[in-house]
Amino acid sequence: MVSVATTNNSVSLPPGKENKAADQALIKQNKEAAKQCLLVADRLIKEADFEKARIEVERAQKLDPSHPYISAFLDRIAYFEEQKKKNQPSPPPVVVAPKQETPGLPVAQVAPPPKSPSPPPPVSAPTTVQKSQAAPPPPPSPTPKKPVDTAKILESLKSTITPAQQSQPAHQSSPPSSPPKPEVDSKLDEMRNQIQQLTQALQEEKKAREEIREHQLQGAVNQLRHAMEKAWINGAPKAPEAIACHQLALSLNIPPEVEKSVQREVKIEMYSRAVKEVISKRKLLRSSSSTLEWLRKVYQITVTEYLENESKFLLDLVADQYKGTVILVSEDSKARNELTNRLKASGYAVVLAQTPELALEKVEKINPNVILCEQKFTSDGALSGIKFMHILRTNSKLNFIPCVLFCEKSDLESLKASELRANEAIVKKPVDFDELTAVMNEKLVQFREYISSLV
Amino acid sequence: MSHKILLVEDDEDNRDLVSFVLQRSQLDVELLIAENGEEAVQMATANPPHLILMDMQMPVMDGWHAVPLIKADERTKNIPIIAFTAQAKPEDKVKTKALGCVEHYSKPMDPEELLNLIQKYLNSQG
Repeated sequence: MVSVATTNNSVSLPPGKENKAADQALIKQNKEAAKQCLLVADRLIKEADFEKARIEVERAQKLDPSHPYISAFLDRIAYFEEQKKKNQPSPPPVVVAPKQETPGLPVAQVAPPPKSPSPPPPVSAPTTVQKSQAAPPPPPSPTPKKPVDTAKILESLKSTITPAQQSQPAHQSSPPSSPPKPEVDSKLDEMRNQIQQLTQALQEEKKAREEIREHQLQGAVNQLRHAMEKAWINGAPKAPEAIACHQLALSLNIPPEVEKSVQREVKIEMYSRAVKEVISKRKLLRSSSSTLEWLRKVYQITVTEYLENESKFLLDLVADQYKGTVILVSEDSKARNELTNRLKASGYAVVLAQTPELALEKVEKINPNVILCEQKFTSDGALSGIKFMHILRTNSKLNFIPCVLFCEKSDLESLKASELRANEAIVKKPVDFDELTAVMNEKLVQFREYISSLV
Repeated sequence: MSHKILLVEDDEDNRDLVSFVLQRSQLDVELLIAENGEEAVQMATANPPHLILMDMQMPVMDGWHAVPLIKADERTKNIPIIAFTAQAKPEDKVKTKALGCVEHYSKPMDPEELLNLIQKYLNSQG
């Protein structure tokens, strides 16, 4: 990693007469070499090879005398040498203050701050600099959450060193009562580890609590759902059962909106199950639609809820007869109901809309197989059937759905004269159901062929 | 007070359907089931119900024989019997009325209609 050979050129700084670019290149090269020397020195210090480390630092000093960390490295070497001697089994008493360990390398050497910004030190350098600080280390923070900003510490140390202190060897500035550096460092490391472990444990506990809370709520919801399913199995529960369910939700700390949502899901599910249950017995029923209507009352399914799920319910009811979903757009309630019953009896799921505007919303939501629409609407501002059809034509997602208009005999010729597309048809009123189903079947065949061609 | 209804029906699907409908009604009823007229007579005598739904076409003993037996017994003669049958001709209705049935209900059933009918006769008994 480190090319020691580069140090051979270190003393030959370029003379000022040579061109500037070459000078700058050489300076840069020397700085880089100095940096590499310090890296080697750092490794050697860690390996306790202080002699070689000092040589590397001295090389770095020659290469880049203004390097801000030179003195710190030397101090660090001196400090660790001293500590090494202290920790020896029978240290001679005179070793306490080995002034010769840092000869000619007082802190004052680096007192002038570097004039030019030096390249950022290697990653290991800040740590080593911190360790080599001459002043007693500050008491370790109990929660050293952030990494120590060693550059700032170094600057502050430099600024706090008085001229008197600077004239002394670095190791002498340490008060005798200060704890040994390696001990402090090891304690700091230990504390950091402990904090990391504690933080990790706390995070895990928090996560576990959240999971438990979530799980408990889910468990509570499941418990409530189970109770509600029992209460709703034969329709809307009677008052005592409903109250019991509500009290259960309260005791389980289930929020009201969650309780409401669960109840809605349960009643739709129970209604759906009831619908499925009558499928096999539909031949015994006078009318599937009236049975469905009765069940809707039994399970307190609102019209909106019914419409939202009608396709599903009817699919259950006429599973083997289902022909598709029809949107019927008509403001005539009598004709609408009559046609709805006949369509349902024929296996269609029917979704109603009173106006073309309302139908447009439902068409996109339901994606019907057939649209049946009156030509005329009496309400103010309402679209006519043909305009509605034209709007459908403009939507590429809807313009292939079979669309049948119901019109008066007087309008029949004019509407038929307009250019109808393959998916469109006109049926005169009063609607002959056989004629209508024939038209619908024809358009559905085309519709299915078209859909098949897309696959 | 819970009312007892005796359903006399040989067809399992029909029994299930009536049971299904009654379970989903707001009526407080207990459904007793007999699979033929003979069972019905025995059950009605042993534990008189508040109402009988009687299928007229059954094996072992049909409704045409069971209804007179029930009407002949002092313990059961006042129990209202609804003829619950697929026979829907006007003459059939006349015949069942003549036997003592209070109503002639033609299958296939309409749940709401059947419940209204049942409720009508249960209410009349208090």
